[in-house]
Amino acid sequence: MQNQTRVTTGIPGLDAMLNGGFLPRTANLVEGAPGTGKSTLGMQYIYESALRGEPGIILTFEEFPEQYYRDAASFGWDFRELERQNRLKIIMSSPEVTKADLEHVGGTIQNLIAEMGAQHMLIDSITHFEGLRQDPVELRKLLYSYLNALKRQDLTLILTRESTHLFGEGIEGQLDASIQFLADTYVMLRYIEIESMVQRAIIVLKMRGSAHDSTIRQYEINNHGIEVLQPFEGREGLLSGTPKRMTESFMRAFVRR
Amino acid sequence: MRREDLTTRVVKDMDPELFDFLTTYVDSFIKWDLLRFFHENPHTMDTSENIARYAGRTAEDVQAELRDLASQGLLVEMPMDDMRVYMLKADPAIKTRLQKFVEATQDREFRRKVIYHMVRH
Repeated sequence: MQNQTRVTTGIPGLDAMLNGGFLPRTANLVEGAPGTGKSTLGMQYIYESALRGEPGIILTFEEFPEQYYRDAASFGWDFRELERQNRLKIIMSSPEVTKADLEHVGGTIQNLIAEMGAQHMLIDSITHFEGLRQDPVELRKLLYSYLNALKRQDLTLILTRESTHLFGEGIEGQLDASIQFLADTYVMLRYIEIESMVQRAIIVLKMRGSAHDSTIRQYEINNHGIEVLQPFEGREGLLSGTPKRMTESFMRAFVRR
Repeated sequence: MRREDLTTRVVKDMDPELFDFLTTYVDSFIKWDLLRFFHENPHTMDTSENIARYAGRTAEDVQAELRDLASQGLLVEMPMDDMRVYMLKADPAIKTRLQKFVEATQDREFRRKVIYHMVRH
């Protein structure tokens, strides 16, 4: 298990949490509330891959490509230049069209992947599939087929998914259970309130076929993108969004050694 | 002054390539919007309904214009299941002409000429 080839995320701290990175040809879900940096994480993955000479595609159902160019530029990532070099393409489309396209032999996306030699894809966001099927079973079948069509192209995928609640647990849509089961890796980005300050937390909840870090770590979005920091210490109930301090006696007995 | 004379006067100093692009593809404000949209989002692949939504127009208005642009060779129209999907033709020459046109529209005087051409059309 430890010696498997890994696909670096381009974020050293996240690679460490993933035991070296994603496994090749996997679908990796990044879920979080608005502003937690899901798209930034995905863009960083695509950018760093492209720099290594591994082309990637961003498939967007929501944002205009222009928005990606602008957001990327704020981190010093020149997406337009990467497009000129054929190391990146940003496709704007809809779930229903890309699904139909992938089902056809020699479809546009398949041709583009082959022409570029693309190895990575960011799908931003998978949430938009919810509108395609009312029945959760049908939705799960559709997603299963869709993700397999992309993995068949030897792509390693990041799928973003919007969480509707800013802090703690909440009611999710029907996509929730389906995509969490289907994804090979499940990374959650969360806002956490500590002493009246909002901080960001990242946790790897699932990684099929691999060990992974189970600590809840801080991360920040700085001028270079996402940087994963140290684990939160001395707090409990982090995933509730409003953690409490561990009691001093508990800390002495079980945490500080 | 006769209409032809006025037209000649307005566009006489226009780059012949731009004039050709203008008279071939741009005969409405919606087409102008769509051209700019495909220039800025060159790998868009979607139905007329979705493109209309992206462009902030009605599907009825946009569909006819997309078909026109496809029949004129600037876009590709593809049947896909029960949908008709549009995308910019993957021809570098077309992309270069489109870029030249969109860049030219940064100039106020050129925009006036485009508007005059469309109103006259």
